Amino acid sequence: MASKHKYISHTADIAFEIEADSLEELFGEAFRVWLISIVELSDFETDSSIDIEIKVDSLEQLLVDFLNEVNFLLLVRKILCVSVEKIRIDEKSFSLFARMKYQRLSEKTELKEEIKSVTYHQMEILNSNGKYKAKVVFDI
Amino acid sequence: MVINGITLNKIRENLWEIPQTNGMRVPGRIYISQEMLESTLSEDEALKQVMNVAHLPGIEKYSLAMPDIHWGYGFPIGGVAATNLDEGVISPGGVGYDINCGVRLAVTSLTFDEIQPKLESLITKLFQNIPTGVGASGAIKKLSKADLKKILEKGSVWAVENDLGTQSDIQFTEESGTLKNADFSVVSERALERGADQAGTLGSGNHFLEVDVVEEIYDAKVAEVFGLFPNQIVIQIHTGSRGLGYQVCDDYLKVLLKASEKYGFKLPDKQLACAPIKSQEGQDYLAAMQAAANFAWNNRQVIMHLAKKSFMEVFGIKESDLGFHLVYDVCHNIAKIEKHRIGNEVKEVCVHRKGATRAFPPGSDMIPAKYKSVGQPVLIPGDMGRYSYVAVGTEKAMEETFGSSCHGAGRNLSRHKAMKEAKGRDLISELKKKGIIIQAKGYKTIAEEMPAAYKDVASVVDVMHKEGITKKVAKLKPVGVIKG
Repeated sequence: MASKHKYISHTADIAFEIEADSLEELFGEAFRVWLISIVELSDFETDSSIDIEIKVDSLEQLLVDFLNEVNFLLLVRKILCVSVEKIRIDEKSFSLFARMKYQRLSEKTELKEEIKSVTYHQMEILNSNGKYKAKVVFDI
Repeated sequence: MVINGITLNKIRENLWEIPQTNGMRVPGRIYISQEMLESTLSEDEALKQVMNVAHLPGIEKYSLAMPDIHWGYGFPIGGVAATNLDEGVISPGGVGYDINCGVRLAVTSLTFDEIQPKLESLITKLFQNIPTGVGASGAIKKLSKADLKKILEKGSVWAVENDLGTQSDIQFTEESGTLKNADFSVVSERALERGADQAGTLGSGNHFLEVDVVEEIYDAKVAEVFGLFPNQIVIQIHTGSRGLGYQVCDDYLKVLLKASEKYGFKLPDKQLACAPIKSQEGQDYLAAMQAAANFAWNNRQVIMHLAKKSFMEVFGIKESDLGFHLVYDVCHNIAKIEKHRIGNEVKEVCVHRKGATRAFPPGSDMIPAKYKSVGQPVLIPGDMGRYSYVAVGTEKAMEETFGSSCHGAGRNLSRHKAMKEAKGRDLISELKKKGIIIQAKGYKTIAEEMPAAYKDVASVVDVMHKEGITKKVAKLKPVGVIKG
């Protein structure tokens, strides 16, 4: 897997720098930093999946909306997305299709944080020398 | 002095100015001691954010920051900015995700000696009765859409109409617990869905309910007017609009990002997305933000009612013997249309307070009649191991800070660093040795919120006191805390 993340110290909240070889991997890595911020990673067993489709006006907004969507599914619909099964991103139309594996939130699932939202703070998706980079800041 | 590459000129002992440079429409001004400036702002982006806020169209006088300034997004936490209503803008970045996050202080007629034998039972009862933690829900029945609509339009008046409070509670809430131009129709279905079962819940993070004892009185006359006396048991509630407010902010950031482009604003940070206050986008955000603010007031009102019931159950006393009443409820994440003197004229402006508390002076028409002779109570919580302060607003706050003061201690350590510091320690026992009982959903919250994670709130409050923006009235010491 050619993606990685680095925790950035931020006084009040959680911030990560992420890097990947493709946009799809970048979004997948952003999802993983959301997941590790929310729960302790374990072997999630699930056959259930849910589709997410988003179309917006910029790549940055696409990433914010994608993460906010999984956050909304968790906090309101009690659906914990645990992995990306499939993801397609169209850079020109700023649209995304993602099929997410999920499990229902149970009483036993201990959530570490309540992410209020994914912010636009310092949000920029850069593409240089074939590498995609972004910074993600969660308001908690 | 140069901090983090930014030049600051000393105006007074605790007041520093960032000169107006490229793109800034006004200078920046920060109320802070030299020691705090050097020790807390040398590595983060908060000062840069004060400069960024100065780019907002229609900003008046200064981009201000209070001594609890720290790195936020868009505005710094502790940031204050007033924009005029002609060409000025409104920005969700100046309010934050937790719309009308705030604090309320209620008093009892009980003393510490009277509650001490049952303190542990009291904290357990409070923890049972008030839902805390991530996604906490179910304090009261799940609200119907009709009830939610009423809460969004009426704020804490809804709670009082539903036997979850008294008329006096309304009287002692900022804006009487209702911002009148709230509009249910501009709040998204998603926001309503997030709020439907969260009325009366504390949530997680830095939100808390604290049982405190009045440890010290600095101004006996004002303390008497506020109903405070030494050794008295009081409670503080710190929370906001929960998921509903977060969703409103998120929804409108998208709208205002488009608006910023439409109106041709060049902004240094996307999180400062804004629209002219007079525009449709600006008016819609203002109305939705007011609805979320009303939800928050109702939330704190319901929690206070549950707390009052908990006291009555544990001590087996009637309401009349408990002497329970609200001193005041202040919001510290809000944008409000207020009248302020700018130069020789009194103007209506939109005052953004992002982690800053309104601090109106004696004689203000905007504060309860009972407090008119002394000024508005300003509630400044510290950390759960040390103390909090009650202060009072002054005329100087009106002259210099658009009637605003600090809102808390401000973090000293990131959550990550706090977790590292807490490793191997038993914070619950450490607090117990200091006479503080804590109950929380998870140990992680206790670790992240440990006292050392915060600056000493006394140094923050002292800056405001020395500069005459707010005056200290009383110090509160925690004896019990519930958290998410």
